[in-house]
Amino acid sequence: LPVRLTCVCVRACAGVVVAAALLVLGCASSGATARPLVGAAAAKQPLQTSRPYNIAHRGSNGELPEETAAAYMRAVDEGADFIEADIVATKDGHLVCFHDVTLDDTTDVADHKEFAARRRTLQVQWANVTGYFITDFTLAELKTLRVKQRWSFRDKSHDGISPIITFDEFIDIALNAKRVVGIYPEMKSPVFINQHVKWADGKKYEDKFIATLKKYGYGGKYMTKRWTERPVFIQSFAPTSLIYAADLTDSPKVFLIDDVTVRTEDTDQSYEEITSDEYLDYMREYVVGIGPWKDTVVPPTRDNTLTTPTDMVAMAHARGLQVHPYTYRNENRFLHYNFRQDPYAEYDYWLNDVGVDGLFTDFPASLRRFQDWTAAKN
Amino acid sequence: MVSLWHTSFIVLVLLFLGGSHANPAARRHGQLDVNHKKQPLQTSRPYNIAHRGSNGEIPEETAAAYLRAIEEGADFIETDILASKDGHLICFHDVILDATTDIANRTEFAGRKRTYDVQGFKLTGWFIVDFTLRELKSLRVKQRYNFRDQQYNWKYNILTFDEFILIALHADRVVGIYPEIKNPIFINQHVKWSGGKKFEDKFVGTLLKYGYKGKYMSKDWLKKPLFIQSFAPTSLIYISNMTNAPKLLLIYDTTVPTQDTNQSYYEITSNGYLAFIRKYVIGIGPWKDTIIPPKNNHLGLATDLVARAHALNLQVHPYTFRNENSYLHFNFHQDPYAEYEYWLREIGVDALFTDFTGSLHKYLEWTAPHQNKEKKCRGPPA
Repeated sequence: LPVRLTCVCVRACAGVVVAAALLVLGCASSGATARPLVGAAAAKQPLQTSRPYNIAHRGSNGELPEETAAAYMRAVDEGADFIEADIVATKDGHLVCFHDVTLDDTTDVADHKEFAARRRTLQVQWANVTGYFITDFTLAELKTLRVKQRWSFRDKSHDGISPIITFDEFIDIALNAKRVVGIYPEMKSPVFINQHVKWADGKKYEDKFIATLKKYGYGGKYMTKRWTERPVFIQSFAPTSLIYAADLTDSPKVFLIDDVTVRTEDTDQSYEEITSDEYLDYMREYVVGIGPWKDTVVPPTRDNTLTTPTDMVAMAHARGLQVHPYTYRNENRFLHYNFRQDPYAEYDYWLNDVGVDGLFTDFPASLRRFQDWTAAKN
Repeated sequence: MVSLWHTSFIVLVLLFLGGSHANPAARRHGQLDVNHKKQPLQTSRPYNIAHRGSNGEIPEETAAAYLRAIEEGADFIETDILASKDGHLICFHDVILDATTDIANRTEFAGRKRTYDVQGFKLTGWFIVDFTLRELKSLRVKQRYNFRDQQYNWKYNILTFDEFILIALHADRVVGIYPEIKNPIFINQHVKWSGGKKFEDKFVGTLLKYGYKGKYMSKDWLKKPLFIQSFAPTSLIYISNMTNAPKLLLIYDTTVPTQDTNQSYYEITSNGYLAFIRKYVIGIGPWKDTIIPPKNNHLGLATDLVARAHALNLQVHPYTFRNENSYLHFNFHQDPYAEYEYWLREIGVDALFTDFTGSLHKYLEWTAPHQNKEKKCRGPPA
């Protein structure tokens, strides 16, 4: 049986258990705060596994600057199943949550005259990029910066308030939540990081990444008891990093796939190659799923309407691989006209028509509402 | 000529309905079984008013936009009524054709561009009152906003008031209509009818011709639901003797006086004025940003307009709700459903004018309370 079918059974059973638990808690509570069950350890509400995962892409970054503590805590408040982060490294080898290799677009680094001389041009995945590179700053220096909202059309009233957080701090947010919240960290730009950051003990970026997860007790195959207590997916665009990590941990991994024109940063392979039958058969040994760019799964026309879906989801599901596409955003500029500028129509299509297993979204609150409201109807 | 438009249009509408995804069984009944009871208008939750039809998807005020709105579950289809040069009532929002038709490409009409005074402002363009119905029918409509789907541009033409009403009456469930007496001062200045009739007379005459009548929530009204809206209080007062159908006073921005009585926003929203107009209207239709003025694209403090209106038993139907994030204040996190939730559950208004009737319908269906909860009471009993 493909892994996915087995998981459906497990998820359904888990769903019944969760529902029963919630009923009991509901009856036991009165007023605004639930009283703990007498004699029972304060058991956290477990991760839901009965429906596709709501993955808060860079936290609730539709509302708050991406990858900050505030964005992650908001995502937890809003009911995300997983909080997602991009992990890169500082000059002195600390792992931090940050998406770009340059600080320009999402921090106030340009306002810090003390760092003005650090602006330079480096090659990143065969292209020249100019800016303030995160790998040229120590953690202490990065902590003096303040993060801002990337997009001009989003709320900028929280700009300049939050600092960059470390991988440790990100994990703390998940573990301190009142319910079980999974983490979904990415081994981001590993080729670039390993080029520019060296660790004294001879370890490299992937070693440090996995060591951090292990330090906090993350481990165990997908859907084991250990995993459901500390849910994690490790994601990367670089297949060799995932294969390397597979030797260090049995935590589930997801292979990210970029647009059709982009080659893998480590193995320089094309989109056609890494989505072929043979390659998926090969990667199946190391990952539990793929994370494609949604417009490669169902390509749009130039007139912004959807064309026929490709067979990528079928190919993945046939091999027991989950599919977690990215990225779902509420703003109409990101929505194809079929969805009539309605982000919930997009969720409906991807979850119910295409049938994927998780969604990376900038708006976990909206996805949560959609899932809750339509679950009642089922 | 009007009856020829009628018949051919009925045929077209029925053919179109034949191709739609509406419930086939119900549709067959509607055509063959004279005793068939249509699914009635819902009156247990706020009204979903398809503003200019489903114009988020299809060019505004076209047959296709209205048929889509009905498909998507709208309670009411809304339209703006203006008049052509030869006195026909048509569905069109602007007094000029420039923004939503191909008039600029029509060399035969190039010489008709004019400048007129419209509500105190000089406006230049091709004015609808300078074109006969036949000429207007030769034009093709386009989507107003460039950030909306352009694939239906140039496919549809302008509708008459009659055609709009027929679309509602031929739906396979009861669908209400919400026509506006639009720019009556301007229309009456530029268009003259025989027999001393004016725009408002023709407007109500059309409704009466199709059997629209009855006070709000009466048996007659529930069969053919209707709200008449206008920014011009004197027009609403003028027609009050001609029809007891429910009327709404639209209220524009705080800086704009009424086009007919030149009264300020503050005057027409005062308790005294609301108590006066309450004799003629069943509710008000304000611009949502005057109910809760925004600051830096966040909601500011709510005014007490809704409370005062409700205290006088006036319904509140604010406009306009749109899905695009440029229209959503940041409190709603670019989520149109969050905006619906706020206005319907927190502010508690009685209806919403929306460009996205499909989305509002989904919101209402998904969050509908259980059937055994009490129905929301609205307005005076019949």
